[in-house]
Amino acid sequence: MKIPRLTTLISVAGLVVLALFPVIGIPLRWLNYLFLFFIYLALANMWNLLAGYTGLICLCPHAFVGLAGYTLAIGSWLGVPFQAGLIAGAAVAALFALLISYPVFRMKGIYFAIGTLVLPEVFKVWFSYWRPVGNIYQGMGAGYSVTGVGGVTLGDVYWLGLVIAAVSIFLVHMILRARLGLGLTAIRDNENSAASAGVNVFRLKLYSFVIAAFVMGIAGAIYYIYSPRINPTGGFDIRWLLMALMGTVIGGEGIEEGPIIGAAIVTFLTFLLASYGAWSLLIQGVILIVVVTVMPQGIAGLLRQVGVYRFPAKLLQAAEGKIYKNLK
Amino acid sequence: METAVLSVDRLNKRFGGIVAVKDMSFEVQAGEVLGLMGPNGAGKTTLLNLIAGTYSPNSGRVNFRGRDITGLPAHKICHLGIARTYQIPQPFTSLLVRDNLRVAATYGSKKGDKLELDEILDLVDLSKQKGMMAGDLATVSLKRLELARALASNPTLILLDEIAAGSSDRELPRILGIIEEIRKMGKTVVLVEHVMKVMVEAVDRIIVIDKGEKIAEGTPGEVMKDEKVLAAYFG
Amino acid sequence: MENFLVGLAPPIIKGILLGGLYVVIALGLSLVFGVMKLINVGHGDLVILGSYFAYAAMTSLGIDPFLSLVMGVPLFFAFGFFVQQFIINRTFRISLDAALIACFGISIIVQSLCQAIWTPFARSLTTPYQLHTFAVGPLTIPLNYLLDFIGGLAVMLALREFLRRTYLGRAIVAASQNTTVAKRMGINPNRVYSFAFAIAMACAAVAGVLQGLTFYFQPASGPPYLIISFGVVIIGGLGSMAGTFIGGMIFGLTQTLGGYPPGGSMLVQNIAAYLLVFVVLAVRPQGIFGR
Repeated sequence: MKIPRLTTLISVAGLVVLALFPVIGIPLRWLNYLFLFFIYLALANMWNLLAGYTGLICLCPHAFVGLAGYTLAIGSWLGVPFQAGLIAGAAVAALFALLISYPVFRMKGIYFAIGTLVLPEVFKVWFSYWRPVGNIYQGMGAGYSVTGVGGVTLGDVYWLGLVIAAVSIFLVHMILRARLGLGLTAIRDNENSAASAGVNVFRLKLYSFVIAAFVMGIAGAIYYIYSPRINPTGGFDIRWLLMALMGTVIGGEGIEEGPIIGAAIVTFLTFLLASYGAWSLLIQGVILIVVVTVMPQGIAGLLRQVGVYRFPAKLLQAAEGKIYKNLK
Repeated sequence: METAVLSVDRLNKRFGGIVAVKDMSFEVQAGEVLGLMGPNGAGKTTLLNLIAGTYSPNSGRVNFRGRDITGLPAHKICHLGIARTYQIPQPFTSLLVRDNLRVAATYGSKKGDKLELDEILDLVDLSKQKGMMAGDLATVSLKRLELARALASNPTLILLDEIAAGSSDRELPRILGIIEEIRKMGKTVVLVEHVMKVMVEAVDRIIVIDKGEKIAEGTPGEVMKDEKVLAAYFG
Repeated sequence: MENFLVGLAPPIIKGILLGGLYVVIALGLSLVFGVMKLINVGHGDLVILGSYFAYAAMTSLGIDPFLSLVMGVPLFFAFGFFVQQFIINRTFRISLDAALIACFGISIIVQSLCQAIWTPFARSLTTPYQLHTFAVGPLTIPLNYLLDFIGGLAVMLALREFLRRTYLGRAIVAASQNTTVAKRMGINPNRVYSFAFAIAMACAAVAGVLQGLTFYFQPASGPPYLIISFGVVIIGGLGSMAGTFIGGMIFGLTQTLGGYPPGGSMLVQNIAAYLLVFVVLAVRPQGIFGR
């Protein structure tokens, strides 16, 4: 039996502890915070995959989230149970990514950014008028409620959130160590060289894009199980992009643990400043500008530079050595 | 002749109103080292780009080992066995030196047909730097990294764009040695160069290009005495 | 059929006039893009900020929006200079992506600011003359649309003369074409960038007034204008004023004609413009007139 590394064990232990939170009586307020952290983390990890590792500054996460959410909502009125609706939503988002990939990858740099920004705006308008199923929920007019989720507790969605957050971390981790990660980094650094070296740039970008769309779709759909009302302005709200972007940039773009740190900060700030309404987002915008001008490597980058990891890493190495020596 | 590894047939390339390559035709034999020479702006790099798939020609054909590769995308051409270096080095700056080669070896070469990366690094004198980030390399090392990366996909034909530019007199013999090693591996080389020593000593045949057209072709000795060549360079 | 064609006239006229508004918005974006190769993704939000500024002047001081420009233009100019000088110029040293993200941050800040101060409730600039219409033959021309057109022409001509005749203007053009040569001529590119951004902001102030007189606006109204003005820039092609003007007309027409056929709803009206941008981006980003 292969003996797993200490860091892996610690990570798994951490996951188990987090999973136990709803059961051991952690206050609901904290479960709420953590849930949102999980969703933002999943989004940020995927944005990092696109921008930090593939070089695609994608401004359409809210298109993926909204599409998945609407698929879930509309599906729920067609009798699709939410578990299937979740996957269906992600699949629709991924399919959408696949469909637009051909025109969108023709656009380079800033053109790609604006091109992707257009898409959620189109959906916002589209879903204001398109109502394939009859339900209207009180107040917002153009929206849907998600039905069939009455029995779902906060603990249940919390676990769903934890799963997708963990999956997103695992995915990025695996991709970076696989062939795909090597190719994506090459593409990010220099597309022409990568192509000359045999990398099928379009195909790799496509993989990255579709994977990101799928995971962002799941995260979005899970959110709409937690908060089962969706309307065009909310589902396709640029806030989804902001959380993903800020989480990645503040934490550290192109760095594996960046989104974890960034999403934590963004979630923390959102709740700390929640009573201040729109000022909360304003302050986060200021922090974004400060980070990108003064600390472009992000907080994780700064930590790495300063060598904060060196001491705990040495400690871990020593501990590992001792433990495994005794086992042999 | 059927032994031609590469044949270029009446290639034309225009950018807007400017003709970069005009009616270019020539062949490259297996195992030879062919030099491309010409004044600045003559279209040499454009020609390499057309062969390597970075550009598509307006008309004409490129044939490689009997197969028409005109207009194929760059990565496909790499898979078929053509590698190239860029005049201004384009490294993968956030990857380690060794990983720069790994990209080409993983994505560019056919399965089971790989060269030892460490041997390539040794050949270009980058063994000591293999654990460094490519972004931290000195400029002069970047050219050698370009060459190493091109070799890493184990190509049949390798296109070198001014690989000796900026080299000192001490470094030049090393470069000539590397070209000779590549030849010994059985590879075919097409190189663009301004440095005369390379043209005279490392190359079997030269094609001279001016204003996008071929104006002379032959051995270094023949070409250097050609009137048209002298006129192109010295007016 | 005849009625259909005759009925086309008002939306066509309105579309052409509306184009002027989009020209003013696009000119600011185009200037910054041309000089620094940067798309200020907060440009639409800054235009809306201009609308809110005029709104504030109107509601608290009772000043006509055009008159408020006397305050607004210098203020926006200074603000733009400051932003470019101390924020965006800094990010250029890091990467173009960093500059893009900084502009995004500005977009967030401006949107949140407007929402915090003025709530998400839709506003508009209401003046006594705003809803005036003219009768020209069988056609009725709304005054606010006419003002958009005049504004578009005026700003375009003013900008063109500025770029041709003043030292700063020519420095901006030089820096946008070739930074190295410009530097050798003694031009400080960073300073030029700051002035260019400042001018773009001044255009945004004017555009804000025009926009506010034509449509209702909310804090989140910015991104659609960004997309449309980007579309104008790429259809018209960078560096071509005539192209930008025609681009503005095209988008104005897309908007008004999209809403024209009965049953061809607002849906078509809005989506048509966005899809046009998307298609042009995918097919020919350098535009119809671009180099």
